Amino acid sequence: MARAADSRPALLAWLALPLLLLAAVLAWTLHVHRQHTALASQLLRVYPQDVDANAVLVHFADKEARPLFDKNCAGCHGAQMRGNPKIGAPALVGGHWLWGNGSVFQIERILLYGIRSGEPKALNVTDMPAFGLMGRLSDGQVRELVQFIMKLNHRPYDAEAANEGETLFHSDRYGCYDCHGSDAKGNSDYGAPDLTANYWNNGGSEQDIYDTIFYGRHRVMPAWRGRLSLEQMRALAVYLHGVSKSSVEGG
Amino acid sequence: MAVPQTSIHTVSAAPRRTRRLRWLLAQWTSPAQRRVALPVMGMVVGLILAGVGLFHRAPRSLTQVPPGYVALVNQQGVLMSDFISQTATETEEPFDQTTMAQRAHVLHEMIDKELLVQRALVLDLPETIEEVRTTMADAVDAQAAAPEQGVQPTDAQLRAYYEAHRDRYSSQGTMTVQNLVLHVGGYQNADQTVTQAQADAIEAVYQLRSGASVAYLMEHFGFVDATPQYDGQQLDFAAKLHLGARLYQVAMTLGTGEVSDPIVQNDGVHVLIMHQRQPATAEDFSAARAQVYNDYRIALTDQAAKQNLQFLRSQAQILLAPGQSE
Repeated sequence: MARAADSRPALLAWLALPLLLLAAVLAWTLHVHRQHTALASQLLRVYPQDVDANAVLVHFADKEARPLFDKNCAGCHGAQMRGNPKIGAPALVGGHWLWGNGSVFQIERILLYGIRSGEPKALNVTDMPAFGLMGRLSDGQVRELVQFIMKLNHRPYDAEAANEGETLFHSDRYGCYDCHGSDAKGNSDYGAPDLTANYWNNGGSEQDIYDTIFYGRHRVMPAWRGRLSLEQMRALAVYLHGVSKSSVEGG
Repeated sequence: MAVPQTSIHTVSAAPRRTRRLRWLLAQWTSPAQRRVALPVMGMVVGLILAGVGLFHRAPRSLTQVPPGYVALVNQQGVLMSDFISQTATETEEPFDQTTMAQRAHVLHEMIDKELLVQRALVLDLPETIEEVRTTMADAVDAQAAAPEQGVQPTDAQLRAYYEAHRDRYSSQGTMTVQNLVLHVGGYQNADQTVTQAQADAIEAVYQLRSGASVAYLMEHFGFVDATPQYDGQQLDFAAKLHLGARLYQVAMTLGTGEVSDPIVQNDGVHVLIMHQRQPATAEDFSAARAQVYNDYRIALTDQAAKQNLQFLRSQAQILLAPGQSE
């Protein structure tokens, strides 16, 4: 009888301790959840161009975005964000933006609606025509253009072929300059790459460039609207903007 | 004989509260009781959840604009991103350089449009306006085809497609043909019978083939020129429209400078003179390349749209009224 009476406080303590722990965990979870919700809400309420000025939001976005990137984006763009020329997935480091200027808004827009994704609001102004396949340029003419592009990038080239290629590039009949500009520096409004930057989404070997001109390119970036939340897309946009910027600043 | 006492009996003298606690704990030590207690607890929890669900009110409508949106119109959000994009497009300035008045103007327009779209849905306009239906259907097709369009064909694929659809790739033939007719009864100045006209036509054809002029024949036998007033080359399909199926069939057998045998039709006896003929020629792959490329890509799009429809049909419930088929 005396032993039963002695065990009573121990029993109560044994029951109270887990309850207290549970309460503490619940309170902490609630606190973290509230904090998260508040930051997520704030991240979406500011204009995209203003996020950069808020270190807390940038930190929050980075933390949110990293696992999202690994799960949804790394498959094409690579875990190191260096892209994959085989599928034309561009590198996200280095500050080369095929479409737009790499601002948070532009990146978020691409995430929302994609590129040539079939979404009516997707970026879909142009694509690279298959000049060779369509018979608009002969095999020899494509090779001449390749040599001209080699010359533009200060790589070894055949001077005679490059001169012919330059004429083709500026001719009204083929209209290369129409998208890439007469200085060949591209136009990010059309998704036309700078041909002088020695930066290549689809590979930069002579054969790769030949294939691009001969077979054309029509790369697709899917729309993530409906698959990711607005908050997740904003976080990814802020993160990618930051990564790209720091990769340029850091050389 | 002494009966062994259970542990419960040993605590029977303890205070009531501790006894109850001990008793409760003892229930959990008995497997038989546990077998009953667990399902009962599950049922109770289930009933509570069902009760809460049953009497819980539907989610209340939003009274504040959720983050990421710039406005709520009848609970339908206007995306901040769309607003920024629309403002930049309309003002032709970067968004951060636009004034508050410009932004307000754009937002006003967007809300107006949203209201009109919502009204259109209430009026069931997608059901009644063909253009809206077509636009919606095209947009779905475009989404279905987008992944297919991302893959460029190889030269071998194009050649295989060309071989499989060779008949599509030929140049249109052309002809310059004169259609002479010797009218029979019922026509003005046509008092002869079909037999007489046929005999005259046979003679006329003989003379034509021997070098007589068309003008001579028209004057001597009474032929009328039924060729349309505009002369010159016609594409084959145009010639078919003008001549009709039967005469066109004969014309297709004639080479340049040839004269047909007389052809009896309801209006009289016809003779065709082929002044110039350029038959349709099949285009080789290199000549048809651009067309083959376009056709191949269109075929891919069509195939994707077809597969998408197959999927939609597999998910849909489609009932047809008695006597109807599709």
